Amino acid sequence: MTALITGASGGLGRALAAECAAKGYDLFLTDISEQGLLEIKHGILRQYDVAVHTQVCDVTNPREVADLFAAIDARGIELNMFLGVAGIDFEGGFTQRGCDQILDIVNINIAATLRVTHAALEHRDTSQKFNVVIVSSLASQYPIPLKATYAASKRFLLDFSIALRQELMHDNVNVLALCPAGLTTTQQALDGIAAQGFMGRVTTVSLPTVARKTISKTLAGKATYTPGAVNRLLAVFGKLLPKSLIARLLYNRWSAAQEKWLDVSA
Amino acid sequence: MKTAVITGATSGIGLAVAKTLCRQGYAILGVGRSQTKCDAALKQIKTELPKSNAKLFCGDLAQQTDVNRLAEQISQHLDKNHDGKLDVLINNAGGVRNWYTTTHEGYETQFALNHLAGFLLTHRLLPHLSRAQGKMILTGSDSHKLMKMRWRDIMFKKRYSCLYAYKQSKLANLLFAKHFNDTLSDSNVRAYVVDPGLVNTDIGSKDTSGFVSWFWSKRAKHGVHPSVSAQTYAYICSEPNLTDLYYYRCEPKPHSKRVNSAGDAQRLWQLSEQLCNIDYKEALS
Repeated sequence: MTALITGASGGLGRALAAECAAKGYDLFLTDISEQGLLEIKHGILRQYDVAVHTQVCDVTNPREVADLFAAIDARGIELNMFLGVAGIDFEGGFTQRGCDQILDIVNINIAATLRVTHAALEHRDTSQKFNVVIVSSLASQYPIPLKATYAASKRFLLDFSIALRQELMHDNVNVLALCPAGLTTTQQALDGIAAQGFMGRVTTVSLPTVARKTISKTLAGKATYTPGAVNRLLAVFGKLLPKSLIARLLYNRWSAAQEKWLDVSA
Repeated sequence: MKTAVITGATSGIGLAVAKTLCRQGYAILGVGRSQTKCDAALKQIKTELPKSNAKLFCGDLAQQTDVNRLAEQISQHLDKNHDGKLDVLINNAGGVRNWYTTTHEGYETQFALNHLAGFLLTHRLLPHLSRAQGKMILTGSDSHKLMKMRWRDIMFKKRYSCLYAYKQSKLANLLFAKHFNDTLSDSNVRAYVVDPGLVNTDIGSKDTSGFVSWFWSKRAKHGVHPSVSAQTYAYICSEPNLTDLYYYRCEPKPHSKRVNSAGDAQRLWQLSEQLCNIDYKEALS
């Protein structure tokens, strides 16, 4: 059994890779950071008895994605799981960011995820159940001012995942959308959690717990996973309240937290 | 001129030990995480002790790539300037993380920084220490007491607690030093652990937030000045033939009985060698 993971050298990618290895999956890891891939490969090989392949790949580049799957073919690997973790966000308002940066969010979070998911499905082992994990976000539940493009891109992934799951259900494929709130992955993320104070603390779920439950829920055939009871409650509010009201509430909250956060990061 | 490598040398106990050993004529090779803090610490040492021989290397000891690079730089420096001899290695760098975070290898950060970094750096510098019949000192803590190794989940993937992860890493320091002395007598290097006591440093507040950070900032105020603890390190460096393992205020001190568990020490040693991809026996051959 082999799992393909994009964005594998980031905090969530590493945690999911370790969890897949613990479950006995061989790994095919990809990321834009060659050094990062090498480090997590070593970390996994020293802890788990699985095979780990790595290849550097910018998932927004069609040629590199083609090369990635050519390498998977060349090794005679058929995939049993795909975890699309690669994604980005740039903090700040729409007009405060260059248009290219804004479009990068769409290119990476949406276009690249679709490209790799499509290719992964073509390279799946059809003799067994195939599992797809798409990393969406709790942000997918709301229109979020100052994170407008990011939140909308994650909404796209959520709706896409749920629809794709239905499409492929009879082909022995499950698709799970992971919708986490803050994760303790980077210093910037930790600063963000600290800046949100109490809300940051109660919405943050321990990284290995998120990884463990993501895999177990995927294997159990679930459609979505939102880590943390508070976050699931917040997601319900997102469904009940009018979108413009949510946007107003979130704007007031985010602009204060972001000011503090960017202050910390600076 | 005697040489000392001190990790975490830009603030707190590490900086105080660096200054103390500078005064005693040691050449100091310090390690710090941020270049800005390295520059500031070096400036402070040079201002207070104009004749000192100190150099700082910058790197994040939680990351093994950085530990290996630092070891290489320090090794070259020792070969060039000090006949390849290292008299004292002080594995002092340590930290607290109130959230579960991982290193680039996917290891839990406190375990990687507080234990594995010293384990790996000591291995890399062992030939230099051996040449000088040197000493290796770890910064331990009485918090290792009432703690046992969580073998089923050593990196606290389930129910992470920053306090228990810290306590375990400090127990690991003692098990490492104990097993080092028990099995590597051929190296002519001896390992010691210092309990610095409660010291007024920012260890519990610089990489944490919320309650942990607040609690530590209050608690640290009751601690002694780092220079008080530094005396114990200087004492171990200067006294020949010290045979105990654990020291506090220049006196031997009893440690937890669990440190005497040869099984735990052996198991931790093997796991650490595996996680760092090293073999101590090879370092000596």
